Amino acid sequence: MIKVDPALCIGCLACSNVCPSKNIVRDDTIEKRTISWKKCGEECDLCVEFCPARALTLVAESEETSIVFELVACRICGARYATEPMLRRIEGSLPEALQKDSSGLAWIWICPICRRNIEAERATREMVLGRSRKSP
Amino acid sequence: MPVYVDISRCIGCRSCEVACQRVHEGWSHVNVHYAGYHAAVPVFCHHCQEATCAKACYTSALYKDGERTAFAVDKCTGCGLCRLACPFGVVWTDKLAHKCDLCSPRETPTCILTCPANALTTDYESASRRARARAAMMVAHGGRR
Repeated sequence: MIKVDPALCIGCLACSNVCPSKNIVRDDTIEKRTISWKKCGEECDLCVEFCPARALTLVAESEETSIVFELVACRICGARYATEPMLRRIEGSLPEALQKDSSGLAWIWICPICRRNIEAERATREMVLGRSRKSP
Repeated sequence: MPVYVDISRCIGCRSCEVACQRVHEGWSHVNVHYAGYHAAVPVFCHHCQEATCAKACYTSALYKDGERTAFAVDKCTGCGLCRLACPFGVVWTDKLAHKCDLCSPRETPTCILTCPANALTTDYESASRRARARAAMMVAHGGRR
């Protein structure tokens, strides 16, 4: 049986992806992510091995557990795109100098789609400026 | 060795996107954006020197291979941390992660071979030479013509 430590779980779904018997079920809505660890009698510890947060252990007896994660809203478009513990983990794993772009934007709290838009806008601005530059 | 884009040559035809899809089972790792009527910009993986996606990956499925940020699909758990750790939003996860691999082991990425406007290259020298030549032309002609 799988036992999950809710204080450690970051809600990434690695366990659900590696589970060969589909005993870890995800349910994503626009605002929430629910992960359910069903009662599992398999002799297998893939989920324990691949958990990035070491939140899972195998125990003799355990009930079905669920954790609900509220998804974080993008600071630009408001779309919900990740669980907070995942973003905190990334914040903790990157050196501070890399956490802000050249304009001081804290990109970790912006969704990937807005990140692409920002990058495209930056590149366009550079090119349009170059085009309209007059020689001295 | 990222793909360098000469935006002033890009015609916004999305051929690079389609070429990428063709060699990556329907997934494109290029995203062409349009800035009003001014320009089209394909957004690519930068193959960052300090690759934040590789730093976030705990199974070393993403790793630096020389200048390339390479991806070993058999180590990926699909956790999605790399997707959230990419500052440019060019790593995707759908059960498994996928990103630009510069079409390894092909010699030249397919997007570069396909681009009809010759806007893409992996050769830094030719990209910077072109930019310098353009700047020099501007000076010689007294501004943009």
